[in-house]
Amino acid sequence: MRKLFDIFIYSWVWISTLAVFSTVICLLWFLLSRGLPTFGKELFFGQASVWEAITGQVRVWDALWPACVGTLSLVFLAALMAVPLGISSGIYLACFAENPFKRILSLSVELLAGTPSIIMGLFGFALILFLRNTFFPDANTSLLLAASCLALLILPYLIFTTQAALESLTDEYRLIGPSLGLSQLQTIFHIFLPASGRGILGGVILSLGRAAEDTAVIMLTGVIANAGLPHGLFGKFEALPFRIFYLAAEYQTPAELNSAYGTALVLLCLTGLLYGGALALHKTLEWQWNQH
Amino acid sequence: MEPALTQPKPFCIIKNLHILFHGKPVLQDINLTLTDCGITVLVGASGSGKTTFLRALNRLNEYYPGYSASGQIELALSGTMENIYQTDLQVTELRRRVGMVFQSPNVLPVSIAQNINLPLKLVTGLDRKKREERLVEVLQEVHLWNEVKDRLKTKASHLSGGQQQRLCLARVLALQPKILLLDEPTASLDFKASGRIEELLLELQHRYRIIAVSHSLRQARRIAGQILVMKEGRIEHLLKKDQFENSEMLQQLLEEFL
Ligand SMILES: Nc1ncnc2c1ncn2[C@@H]1O[C@H](COP(=O)(O)OP(=O)(O)O)[C@@H](O)[C@H]1O
Ligand SMILES: [Mg+2]
Repeated sequence: MRKLFDIFIYSWVWISTLAVFSTVICLLWFLLSRGLPTFGKELFFGQASVWEAITGQVRVWDALWPACVGTLSLVFLAALMAVPLGISSGIYLACFAENPFKRILSLSVELLAGTPSIIMGLFGFALILFLRNTFFPDANTSLLLAASCLALLILPYLIFTTQAALESLTDEYRLIGPSLGLSQLQTIFHIFLPASGRGILGGVILSLGRAAEDTAVIMLTGVIANAGLPHGLFGKFEALPFRIFYLAAEYQTPAELNSAYGTALVLLCLTGLLYGGALALHKTLEWQWNQH
Repeated sequence: MEPALTQPKPFCIIKNLHILFHGKPVLQDINLTLTDCGITVLVGASGSGKTTFLRALNRLNEYYPGYSASGQIELALSGTMENIYQTDLQVTELRRRVGMVFQSPNVLPVSIAQNINLPLKLVTGLDRKKREERLVEVLQEVHLWNEVKDRLKTKASHLSGGQQQRLCLARVLALQPKILLLDEPTASLDFKASGRIEELLLELQHRYRIIAVSHSLRQARRIAGQILVMKEGRIEHLLKKDQFENSEMLQQLLEEFL
């Protein structure tokens, strides 16, 4: 009886893993088979010449390049705002906050985490309406606004993973710093944070991916289909997920639909690239921790 | 004959020390004067307050929630006796001068060299050259130098348990403490590695004042200059060498207290 049960559990665990794995493979295969054939200069730059497109001399129509740049700038800006803020808040929650204040703070972060992204978008949109009616009649949805709303969206992931990584350090480990005469700040920055690097990195990666793929927020805060390259912080912009949405909703030829798959593939690669970047940063920091 | 001259000097005077966690007394009414006569070994049943006692001496108990205390502790940190709760002694400075090694080796997840170098840099601010000299010195002091000199850049966690514990000791010694607190330093080690640590402590006792918790009475007898017996948060006995060398008496105490 017992044995039968064990076998059941084993096979269940196996089957579950296999199911997840094969779903991922199917998805990738599907994307690759539909998207890969569309890859080429045409998909990225349309009729424009590559060099002129990259340097921004000519406008690129019906191609991915402006959306790639848009998404990269969005993620970069959002990360620039959210990562320092999120990690610092995580440190505060894990190392300084005391109940009941800590509980209230955690609850509000949880609330933020539970907020659907469309609400974040609405919030940004409402902010612009408010600004227009009050101080800045010229205020408009823009790259900066979209990035700020995305930053708000990913903030809770960063806070929670930082807090969790710091709180999972063992009691013995926590005592090393103080027992050697390090101050509290030295202990946090030189002993705790480096050791939690892996967990924090996980949060950063998760949030970068989240910022790159979100469509609801940017739809209300400044993305448009044919903006071209982003025109500074206060201009409109294009973005990959929005382009996928737009192509899939309004395609007129099968080729256009296929280019949506191509775009999805590009988004996937871009996210992979961001992961790679975060990983490299982590490796550098870890290496530095080991330097005299 | 001048007995006053041969009288060893006290290095630790404790008066009416009480320590509570969340209102529950853990150490009660400790009055104690420790003088220089070799390693002071603390024995007692599990939960009798040995760890808390050690942590009282470097104020590490304050790190825990619900801590409260009364009483006075004076330690010889720099020639004269100093009250460790006095306000003009920084707690970080106290902890540097009263070094502590824990039950299981807790190396940092960095290289062997960096384990010593990082705290040294943060606490003393010495320049790189001085730090490197100090590194070699302390690794030799704990007899680890020959074993690790070719792989200082490898991860400390790849060392054996005994080596890790000696590294932790070296990390503390690099900060040039006056007093060493060792909380069951061999509890997680095998027989051979324990033996090496014991030999090392017997060497180090000439350079540092050592207070060590031991989980074994045999070990206590091998290394102690005096034995403190703890029971339920109180110091029950302070035994000098002639008292515990007498195995019958020790046996009797054992049955009585452990
Ligand atoms: N930080 C703490 N918070 C609450 N209770 C504690 C704490 N440290 C120790 N105690 C309590 O004090 C008693 C003595 O603990 P300890 O000093 O660790 O004993 P020993 O080291 O002799 O085993 C135990 O009952 C333990 O539960
Ligand atoms: Mg203990």
